[in-house]
Amino acid sequence: MGGLRYLGRKLVQVALTLLAVVTFNFYLFHVLPGDPIKLLARAGNLQPEDIARLRELFGLDQSLPVQYLVYLRDLATGNLGMSLTYRQPVVDILAERIVNTVELLAAATVLVIIIGVVVGVIAAARRGTRVDTASVVTSLLFWSLPTFWTGLMLIFILGVWLHAFPISGSGTPGVVYASLGAQVVDFGAHLVLPTLTLVLVDIGQFVLITRSSLIDVLTEDFILTARAKGLSSSQVLWRHGVPNALLPVITTSALYVGLVVGGAIQVETVFSWPGMGRLIYDSVLRRDYPLIEATFLVFAMTVILTNFATDLLYMWIDPRVRNA
Amino acid sequence: MIRWRNAATVAVAAIMAVAGCSSSATPAPTTPPSSGTPSASTGVASAAPSVAATPSSQPLRIGWLNEPDTMNPLTTYSTEAVEVLQLVYDKLLDYDLSLKPEPELASSYEYSTDGKSITFHLRTDVSWQDGQPLTSADVAYTYNLIHDNQLGQYAQFLTDLTSVQTPDPATVVLTFSAPQAFDPALVIPIVPRHIWSAMTAKAIESFANSTPIGSGPYKFGQWQKGASLTLTRNDGWWGRPLPSPASVTWVLYGNSDVMGQALQSGEVDIVPQVPPTVFDGLTNVANVKTVSLPSFSFHHIGFNVSSNPKSGGNPLLRQLVIRQALEYSVDRNQLVQLCLAGHGQPGDSIVPAGLTDWHLAIPPDQQLNNDPAKAKQMLDAAGYTDRDNSGIRETPDGKKLEFRLIAIATTDVDVCAAHLFQNAAAAVGIKLDLQTLDANTLGNDVYNSAAPNWDIFVWGWDSGTPDPSYMLGVPLCDQIGGNNDVYYCDKQYDALYNQQATTIDPVARKQITDQMQQMYYQNAAYLVMWYQDKLQAYRTDTWTNWTQVPGGMMFNFTRDNYLKILPAH
Amino acid sequence: MTATVPLAVERPTGGLAAARANLALAWADPIGRAGFALLGFTFLVAILGPVVFPFDPTEVGTSAASILQAPTAQHWLGTDELGRDVFRETIAGSQVSLLVGLLATAISMIVGTMAGLGAGYSRGLVGAVLVRITDFFLVLPTLPLIIVLAAIAGQSLGIIIVVIGLTSWASTARIVRSQILSLRERVFIERVRALGATDLRIAVVHILPNVLPLVFANTVLVIAGSILAEATLAFLGLGDPVHVSWGTMLHFAFEVGAAGRGAWWYLLPPGIGIVVVVLGFTLVGYTLDRILNPRLRNR
Repeated sequence: MGGLRYLGRKLVQVALTLLAVVTFNFYLFHVLPGDPIKLLARAGNLQPEDIARLRELFGLDQSLPVQYLVYLRDLATGNLGMSLTYRQPVVDILAERIVNTVELLAAATVLVIIIGVVVGVIAAARRGTRVDTASVVTSLLFWSLPTFWTGLMLIFILGVWLHAFPISGSGTPGVVYASLGAQVVDFGAHLVLPTLTLVLVDIGQFVLITRSSLIDVLTEDFILTARAKGLSSSQVLWRHGVPNALLPVITTSALYVGLVVGGAIQVETVFSWPGMGRLIYDSVLRRDYPLIEATFLVFAMTVILTNFATDLLYMWIDPRVRNA
Repeated sequence: MIRWRNAATVAVAAIMAVAGCSSSATPAPTTPPSSGTPSASTGVASAAPSVAATPSSQPLRIGWLNEPDTMNPLTTYSTEAVEVLQLVYDKLLDYDLSLKPEPELASSYEYSTDGKSITFHLRTDVSWQDGQPLTSADVAYTYNLIHDNQLGQYAQFLTDLTSVQTPDPATVVLTFSAPQAFDPALVIPIVPRHIWSAMTAKAIESFANSTPIGSGPYKFGQWQKGASLTLTRNDGWWGRPLPSPASVTWVLYGNSDVMGQALQSGEVDIVPQVPPTVFDGLTNVANVKTVSLPSFSFHHIGFNVSSNPKSGGNPLLRQLVIRQALEYSVDRNQLVQLCLAGHGQPGDSIVPAGLTDWHLAIPPDQQLNNDPAKAKQMLDAAGYTDRDNSGIRETPDGKKLEFRLIAIATTDVDVCAAHLFQNAAAAVGIKLDLQTLDANTLGNDVYNSAAPNWDIFVWGWDSGTPDPSYMLGVPLCDQIGGNNDVYYCDKQYDALYNQQATTIDPVARKQITDQMQQMYYQNAAYLVMWYQDKLQAYRTDTWTNWTQVPGGMMFNFTRDNYLKILPAH
Repeated sequence: MTATVPLAVERPTGGLAAARANLALAWADPIGRAGFALLGFTFLVAILGPVVFPFDPTEVGTSAASILQAPTAQHWLGTDELGRDVFRETIAGSQVSLLVGLLATAISMIVGTMAGLGAGYSRGLVGAVLVRITDFFLVLPTLPLIIVLAAIAGQSLGIIIVVIGLTSWASTARIVRSQILSLRERVFIERVRALGATDLRIAVVHILPNVLPLVFANTVLVIAGSILAEATLAFLGLGDPVHVSWGTMLHFAFEVGAAGRGAWWYLLPPGIGIVVVVLGFTLVGYTLDRILNPRLRNR
């Protein structure tokens, strides 16, 4: 069956790409710096005996291929090393932070896609009018905003000046919440500014993609047929136009995960949001190499897996793809 | 506190401990007797009567910019960890709000006639936070653990320890090979033997102690890494009255400006470490009081004067005239004005001005400060002139006076000072190539004692104790490989150090320490730029009864402010 | 009427004349014209600005009162944390930001075009490998990669330029490759090949000129991205501490608490500078993309 074969091919591709990322990671952190012990040794004055023991421990006295296999084995068993800053296993630190980033990105992604698509649809429907031009120009303008600077401006205007929303962290510290509802409200209040930053900066892409895709679709024959059948404008638009225009939107959504990673790093840094983005920034600042390595790997693998999920989604939505 | 470097050594030790390797210990300076009373006197410090704290349900929230590295009090070097753990663990003695010794676990103590032994009489009503009673066995265990394994930052205070005796569960006798000027009982936290003795010393080195059990006024609550750390009041604490704050939460901020905003919005009650510009922004805010206190710290420029043949440092820096010329080129007052926004004093000697009894203020006519004309004169006279009109002076055989300058990228005041230093040096014809590094790399480069490959750095020191011996002991010959960051070695200086170490009379001792400070200053291995003020700010509408202590209301040698503050209503 | 004659005459779309026509179209479009105007203004400031208003980084303030001062007649945009004039500093920063953006893009474009040519034109293993590598770099998240490389390699301006360039070439490569794939089967290529042209000659002389317009449009957008990347790197503290760019200014503004002090004069100018430049390139790139991509032309 075409479907199974497609799936099989995709699985192989994903596996290969993941392996490529892992290998690339190995190259970045173990081969490129010249001597990984040098990186670890930067953390403290090591005596020659200590260095020898470390080499033995990490299998660095072996040849490169063997080191690579040791590296793969460690990864497979969930051993991502010890953080130099916290002196704890890296996995433990990652586990604490991932949830926070997922919460932030989930909120932002949902809003970006929904608002972006709706505005894009409206712009396409009113193509050529001032609403359309305004949407396009605004989208391009917002796309040009640096994420971190937008965050700073929001802190300045909505946080410091108008005192409307909290400007850091994911919750009010040291507070005992009266109820789960109170905690949710507090969390939501802290979520507003970081999410707003991401939404502002990323919404433009979805507006433009939706708009151009829909304009394409609206010129196709079956739309003319629908109109000829007497369906109203909005019915034509929403029931026939939009669903067929969604494919590129889905592609962009998949790519968005890759793009929003960069945004997450900036937003989490500016708003002190305790997630993965801030973790990679803090660990780079301290040159905590085991932590940097693991965080980068998580980011890369997440993007790859999201792309894979999108491919599966495609397969389900668009039968033409299966037989390609 | 002691620098990062030792912390990082422990980090690597932790990694190697996983494989059963041992880390190398760092030699410690010997502490001389100070103006204590090593006769058979009894020391019973009494707490000054004050308004008594009563347990409240109000939380105390503190903002900070760095997190602790671990909850293990015996292996940490992080100032933040020490600040938190001083509330979880008790010591035999502690500093009070006047930075004088007060009793803690030891209700009284006395010295032997020869001054080499101290007998501590412990309270008998102390229990650990898990219910077990605290006895002299715990004290003996802790001191022996630190001493026998050279464990952590407190090991340097126990180098002269010869024995720990426990004649009964409420008595501990510490015996040293020589009278100790600095009593280590003031800083060493006591850990529970019934929990820790189950581990080998190696295991302790990498022990994270994620749920610390102590005997102190606060119990460990939770630590959300990257966000906040909370302690809750230990209502079974032996001390009376019980502290007011029901809980203490330290909140981590990624940025000092945001932290200042948090104070203004009431998200935190106090911020104990504020950068100068943020501090100035808080001065006229309603319900916020800003406090500036003298600190026991300085920031300095260090010149690599190592005579090790393997040293990669530029040998020209071993010329006194070049170092002194660089000292003359800098206007320390300008550094204070621009980098600290005026919140500090120009620096001179190695003993911080906050130690008012011991600091030597170098007389103005002997100061190597802010005289570029003199610098140029000195360099000209020594034969370092700009022969090829490049703007940079050369030696007679053509070597340029060009040096590498390193600073920690994330320490803004150091980067500021480095830029200004570059300009100042350029104005007298010396080129400095600035590179900013992360703290770990800089520390490792500087302290690579086998072959230090750097020329000049910008860094800082916090005095580990309120006694001059700490800072004076840094440039000793036997501290090369230890704290000696510029590889200074002067037998005469070392002899004076050992002399003041055995001088009991404070007047006589001060004469020697003054001489040492003068000597070290004129030899220009350090350029002490400034003594920064400790800048703190707190809300006036949540907690009151703060005592301003030199060195800071918090992040100081005393924890008593936590115990004495009262709700503002 | 028989259908032996193709409905449309095949004609190459490259060449100087076509380029001029495209640029004219871009200028005619109001969005494109706005973009050109912004770019013109930016380059004017970057080239002439430092001549008329030179910035001396050693000209620092004299006392604590001169730090973070609000705008005065003497300092039109106030002072920074060292007491230096923000107006002149912003102008000087434009040079650094633009330089990094342009040079990084040059690297990206060269590498990307070559990779795309190779991937698109060579059949067999080399092509397949290049495609995989391109896809791999497309999938790697950019900012983490840039941050990591900067951490490992160092913080000089040169390294930053190379790092940004090496992380952005994949989009160019993909465009080049897809263009080539569609071009190499075209009729006029067959004719040229029949006349005895080698693959290399075909690639360089015939295909490349037709690929370049789209590459150019994409490059304009890559410039915008590179400028944003440098600003972000500098803001995160990984920039070159010696050469002050707009991102560096914002880094120090954030560090010294400009927001809390209300020092809008330190926060707004560098940020607006970035937005103006990036918007200029974005508008032009968007317009060119619409002109050159026939499917988009009707919009």
